[in-house]
Amino acid sequence: MSNLIAARAAMGSTLAFHIIFASLGVGLPVLLCVAEGLGLRNGDTVWYALARRWSQAFSILFVVGAVSGTAISFEMGLLWPRFMGFASSVIGTPFAMEGFAFFTEGIFLGLYLYGWDRLSPRAHWLCSIPVAVGGTASAFFVVTANSWMNSPTGYTAVNGKVTNVDPLGAMFNPGTPSETVHMILASYQVAAFAVAAIYAVALLRGRRTTYHTRGLLLPMAFGTIVAPIQAYIGDLSAKMVAHTQPAKLAAMEGLFHTVAGAPLRILGIADPNTQQTNFSIEIPKLLSWLAYGDPNSVVKGLDAFPRADWPNTLLVHLAFDLMVGTGALMIVLPIWFWFLYYRNGRTIPESRISKVMLWTAVLTGPLAFIALEAGWMVTEIGRQPWIIQGVMRVADAVTPVPGAGLTILLVFMLIYLVLTVALVYLLLRLARQRPKAAEPDAGAGNSATAAQA
Amino acid sequence: MFILASVGSATASFLANICAGLVGAGLIAYAVLGGADFGGGVWDLLARGPRMEQQRAAIAHALGPVWEANNVWLIYVITVTWTTFPVVYASVSTALFIPIVLALVGIVLRGAGFGLRSQYARNAEMAVAWGYIFNGASVIAPFLLGALAGGLAGGHIHVHNGVVSANYWTTWTTPFALTCGAFAVAICATLAATYLSVEAKTDNNLPLAEDFRIRALLAGAVTAALGALAALLAAFESPQLWSGLIGKALPLSLGAMLIGLATAYALLAQRFTLARYLVAGEMACILAAWAVAQYPYLIIPDVTIGNASAPESVLLAATLASAAGMLLLLPSLWYLFYIFKARPHDAPRQTAAQLADQGYRLAFPPTEEPTSGRADH
Repeated sequence: MSNLIAARAAMGSTLAFHIIFASLGVGLPVLLCVAEGLGLRNGDTVWYALARRWSQAFSILFVVGAVSGTAISFEMGLLWPRFMGFASSVIGTPFAMEGFAFFTEGIFLGLYLYGWDRLSPRAHWLCSIPVAVGGTASAFFVVTANSWMNSPTGYTAVNGKVTNVDPLGAMFNPGTPSETVHMILASYQVAAFAVAAIYAVALLRGRRTTYHTRGLLLPMAFGTIVAPIQAYIGDLSAKMVAHTQPAKLAAMEGLFHTVAGAPLRILGIADPNTQQTNFSIEIPKLLSWLAYGDPNSVVKGLDAFPRADWPNTLLVHLAFDLMVGTGALMIVLPIWFWFLYYRNGRTIPESRISKVMLWTAVLTGPLAFIALEAGWMVTEIGRQPWIIQGVMRVADAVTPVPGAGLTILLVFMLIYLVLTVALVYLLLRLARQRPKAAEPDAGAGNSATAAQA
Repeated sequence: MFILASVGSATASFLANICAGLVGAGLIAYAVLGGADFGGGVWDLLARGPRMEQQRAAIAHALGPVWEANNVWLIYVITVTWTTFPVVYASVSTALFIPIVLALVGIVLRGAGFGLRSQYARNAEMAVAWGYIFNGASVIAPFLLGALAGGLAGGHIHVHNGVVSANYWTTWTTPFALTCGAFAVAICATLAATYLSVEAKTDNNLPLAEDFRIRALLAGAVTAALGALAALLAAFESPQLWSGLIGKALPLSLGAMLIGLATAYALLAQRFTLARYLVAGEMACILAAWAVAQYPYLIIPDVTIGNASAPESVLLAATLASAAGMLLLLPSLWYLFYIFKARPHDAPRQTAAQLADQGYRLAFPPTEEPTSGRADH
């Protein structure tokens, strides 16, 4: 395996791992904040019980998110020192800001997780707000850097060195508004549909208590609000890609030939050798209309770019369709849910159709994660062979240290594999436990000793 | 034109120094706070005697709420370094690839080990296994970070026109670098034992406070011996650092020694709180002495603050972002440490945990959970 391929595999796999926990770290605090806020306002302690249960799960997940994120900040330099040497002054400022946002999240999360028996209910709830705001702000700042890699602005390059850096101009590059919001909403969707799936399982198993019902209602409501906005932002994002990265758009859509009135292709095998996308469902002129607002506009196909500069069409096209399809499911499922719920006098019915709906909700949980990964693959693999679109190739960015990529790939795959096994075990055990009072939250200080202290 | 240009470069140079100062301050914060978390892992490994379990519980209790926040100082240091001194970050990541990867493994496993061990509290074997991972990683990570620092000062990393040349192994395995690593572990252990003795004292657990006080004294003695050895080796292996330590950084070098002695006195006299401030000051003073001694070099002998800094606009943005961030951060940190580390204050009349307990009872009346006792023990 060449150092480049190994380095890409290492970066890709560690990011794919981190993104799961990072997204939950952005989305779950919103659910915690709302659930506890409802409990505080209405004096309804069942909301508190739910928030505490979620906080137990979150304390496990956050550890992994924090350590894998630390690893990534090192890996950027370890694997791509030439990229960092060139670009880090341009995209560093948002990373430094991300540091502070993450600091805020970490500090108040410490207060939140360990403060259950040290803080008054009001102070405890107030701590959840900076956790949620800090998480979302972190996501914003980090993704501005990625969006700069897709549409770099805010500097001039002279002899391979950057000058005239405008940090704000780099941060607010053309891709920033749509890409950052798209990622933040995706994090919300992942958290919402993952939690909904867990309580859908409980309801299917006949646990139809207020506690379990609310455990489904709140994330479902969250998902209901977010999913349609995501569709709109996703469309904006694709229009921006059409503008700044036409080759990526062509790969996403499996479009090999430049054509006026381009069709939208759903599914199919985009084969770069035959330059055909076979077995796809074609909707005439829809891509031209979606990308440029005119059904007869010309959309650049991959033939407009040198063959060496094509991303992996097969992967990018299918990943894109997988993401869009799951996005559609996340719009339909809540509508279906609320229809059944309200028709049955604001309770979840026990009918067969309701069971099918709940099973769909169970499936949507893992699908939301798959859509998250697929979307990330579209933006990263779709940018290949560039690390900075049109400016620097990944091959020119990779470390000269021999065996570096393979070392990081093997070491971190092993560590993350062990962590995954440990996490899955812990989360399953947490899910199996009957919710019970005086559960030690994060283990260290159990309630009794902490209350005495 | 000439005057304008020199004014511009004076501002740039001033900002570059500010940014180097921010990196240094971030490192000191990480060392004083995060260093103690590593030291906690060292004492977890060395826990022994009749109060072994109490020692471990005190360590877990002390680290729990703060280690994730403390870890963010490292991320701050890295991001400010790569933003304001891109060449440094890129060169160090290449030249010291091996110790950085190993330190990173240590940092990841320390966090994961600590977090997961407490979650496995009811499964003894798993808890022991994750405990060893936490312990081992807590020794490895500061050792490698210390060796890294020694490697940077050793003068064997050459950077010309952005191209790095260094030996991937010998740069950080010199006697000086390895002694720096051992010194880092020892001083982290001293910090942790001192902090832990204060917390045990606050909880009125006097025998436990005594355990940690003695450990702090022993670790402090080891730290002093390793510090003397490192200084001696620096005279031979890193003459530039050495001449700085006995030259422009002399007040800080002497200050570090005096504070070290004062810490020993405070511990002997059982002045716990004083010892806590002194030992933190000791750590800060050592790092400051090193930084001043090396100034203006970031990587000896080729990279300086002047020739490695990013464009002025970037330095300004990083400085302003840091200033704004600190306004947000410092009060938040104060609140975190006030709630978990200050003297015990009156618990609120009602806590969020009590409401959650009520909620559980409301949602699951006791009759509904006949088997809960078994699941818990």
